[in-house]
Amino acid sequence: MSAYLVAITILTLIYVLLALGLTLQFGLTGLINFGHVGFFAIGAYTSALLTLNGWPVAVGILAAAMAAMLPALPIGYISLRLRDDYFAIVTLAFSEVVRIVVTNARDWTAGTQGLPGIARLYASLSGAASEWAVLGTILAVTLLAVWMITRIARSPFGRLIQAIRDNEVAVKALGKDPAWFKIQVLAVGAALAGIAGAFYAHYITYIVPDQFVPLVTFYAWMAITLGGASRISGAVVGSAILMVLLEGSRFLHDFLPMISDSAMASVRIGVVGLLLIVCIIWRPQGLMGERGER
Amino acid sequence: MINFPQLIANGLVQGLFIAMAALAITLAFSIARFPNAATGDVMTAGAYTGLATQSATGSLILAGIVAILTGAVISLAADRLVFRKLAGRAVVASLVASIGVAFVIRAVLGVTFGLSQLVYDIPLTRAKLYWGVRLTPLDLQVAGAVALALALVFGILHLTPIGRQMRAVADDRDLARVSGVKPERVMVALWLISGGVAGLAGMMLGIKTVVEPELGWSMLLPAFTAAILGGIGSPGGAVAAGLLLGVVQEISTPFVGFNYKLVIAFAALLGVLLWRPSGLFGKREGVR
Amino acid sequence: MSLEILNITKNFGGMRVLDDVSLSVPTGSLFGLIGPNGAGKSTLFAAISGFQKQETGEVRLDGKRIDALSPQARARAGLVRTFQVPREFGHLTVRENLCAAAPNQTGESLLGLFFRPARVAREEAEIAAEAAEIMQRLRLTQVADQPARLLSGGQKKLLELGRALMLEPRFILLDEPFAGVNPVLIEEIADRIRDLNATGIGFLIIEHDLEALTRLTPYLAVLDRGRIIAEGAPDAVLADAQVREAYLGGTV
Repeated sequence: MSAYLVAITILTLIYVLLALGLTLQFGLTGLINFGHVGFFAIGAYTSALLTLNGWPVAVGILAAAMAAMLPALPIGYISLRLRDDYFAIVTLAFSEVVRIVVTNARDWTAGTQGLPGIARLYASLSGAASEWAVLGTILAVTLLAVWMITRIARSPFGRLIQAIRDNEVAVKALGKDPAWFKIQVLAVGAALAGIAGAFYAHYITYIVPDQFVPLVTFYAWMAITLGGASRISGAVVGSAILMVLLEGSRFLHDFLPMISDSAMASVRIGVVGLLLIVCIIWRPQGLMGERGER
Repeated sequence: MINFPQLIANGLVQGLFIAMAALAITLAFSIARFPNAATGDVMTAGAYTGLATQSATGSLILAGIVAILTGAVISLAADRLVFRKLAGRAVVASLVASIGVAFVIRAVLGVTFGLSQLVYDIPLTRAKLYWGVRLTPLDLQVAGAVALALALVFGILHLTPIGRQMRAVADDRDLARVSGVKPERVMVALWLISGGVAGLAGMMLGIKTVVEPELGWSMLLPAFTAAILGGIGSPGGAVAAGLLLGVVQEISTPFVGFNYKLVIAFAALLGVLLWRPSGLFGKREGVR
Repeated sequence: MSLEILNITKNFGGMRVLDDVSLSVPTGSLFGLIGPNGAGKSTLFAAISGFQKQETGEVRLDGKRIDALSPQARARAGLVRTFQVPREFGHLTVRENLCAAAPNQTGESLLGLFFRPARVAREEAEIAAEAAEIMQRLRLTQVADQPARLLSGGQKKLLELGRALMLEPRFILLDEPFAGVNPVLIEEIADRIRDLNATGIGFLIIEHDLEALTRLTPYLAVLDRGRIIAEGAPDAVLADAQVREAYLGGTV
């Protein structure tokens, strides 16, 4: 049982890292990033490929963050020129392009067969000790990320990105340039997603392109929508609820074995969709509400 | 030796599907004023219900009617239950809600029909030579049906009173209301037409390829690309861009391989948007 | 800081919205701009501040052309504008709105924020003090910690002015600063503008409240359908036959 709890906690923390990026980008700055899984994928494959070629895991994770940040610059530039919904579509296209490239660059990524045998963190430790060590590490990194984003949110930087979200024209009229801020925000969120991807790769040890579909992006969106998009606590709470939902459906399946696997998968998607709709209509500020609100 | 006429012909056939989906999207985008990400799954729904009808009755015509009705009804219901409630809010709310609607549709289809690939029971035909280009009669029939549907929609938009009202609302919603256009009727007409087109497009695509859960979703990005490229609010632009995109994608295959079709669409989208943020034929929208 | 507008022409969808508009606002002026609705006054402000590009003509600050500068750059150069419909940062408090406007903040850079926390804290204290002073002058202290979206229309206008002041501008374009503001407050704001003007800040003010404006600005220009039709002291301008005709039906 405790091994199971450790496992789902690890996955929850990975989702928290993803959600934090969206909180920063959308909740605080108003950028609609529908391509988040693309950065996740870049991080996962970068770290996997490096470690499979002999580099230490720590290097892999660092490289994952940096590789994920690279596309953030051109995407940030694009965000300055397009209105919100066009930008959303372009970011969605970006993540699909990443998936297509990863699927077809067989010489590098082994295509649909994927990359098995990825090094685990703490491979030298055995069994339970290894699991706890991994949990500890990811928890530490996540706490650091939470601290960092909280600091940012409460700083003049955080104040200004919220100003950009609320009225970008006024920001320009006050002599400040939204451009660089948007790019930084996209880069930081991308780095978090890249790190999450690296942890994911080193935890499940076998990655295939099909794990990096837009559904993952929208799981993260559901987490922040449910939890409260502009609240950091919202990212944490929302990710926890998301994991309960995803795992809960697995339990339900155990109780109702007559429902097929595929039907369960469909129900899961349906519940995510329903929650998105219900939340947007009746509680758009999420469970944790707006900043400064109770 | 690259056979350009062949590629262009293939591209036009592909492009017709993109054009239909793009038309559904641009109508909703310009009248309801948000990008409807559920359009793809409405297409998938049309494909499945059409298939079920054809299996049960053997009639493709009936299947087509059912596909159209499915798309229309689902879209109208989505508006009633979800989109209408988000009328005064920021676009992102409707956009995210439409993702939710897409997922719900996909879930219902998954539970009802399962997740495996299905095919329409249509006799395989061999490609024949038409004016130097190889196409199957099925391709031609499907293309013909799509072209007919498009012509019908344009007829409605330009020759009927409700069509004129729809175009007025798309152009200038406040002016339209002041001129006596009833927004309620226009919205109903919008979702019926947009949904019907999407449903039929899905079925046609299902006939040409296979029916599977991701059928419409995989068409979503090319369709959005074409709708934006053609300029939101320009149905003609959406269709033209759809055909153009189909051709561009096909022509690029000898150079980049057919797996990278979407990448071409993406590159085209980026290229045009950075140059003209409001699309090729669009109005002032799209700019910051 | 002097402001010169030379032969500005702007078309919009086939219509000529600004037609060869020229204005010369010397250093330290209090200059009013009036005209009927739709005359193009806000469009002129948009062209001067860089939010719209004019077809022909120049804008000069202290004799130097600023047409190539972005709106942000013009604001940083000392030319600040407010908006006719207030553009408050709705989800930030009044205090945060003002603090966000302060220029050159170390805390707005990620590196500065994490590596120079002491300096950031010090700057925040200074900025907070400035903001508190402005709030006091504009009678906004009691709503200091309210989200700006909950303010009344008049309060939002005051906040617009307050934010502009945080930049320590040398020239301010005010777009209808009195609209929706409590009459008692209007006089106070006018006093504030006069005080600021006395320190050398120039003002170009669009207003519909002619009574308040004429008491404040010793010089007016009238814009009608994109053209300047009169200029001069308020009494002379308002007595002008063309001006009265332009305002036909309105209160002059």
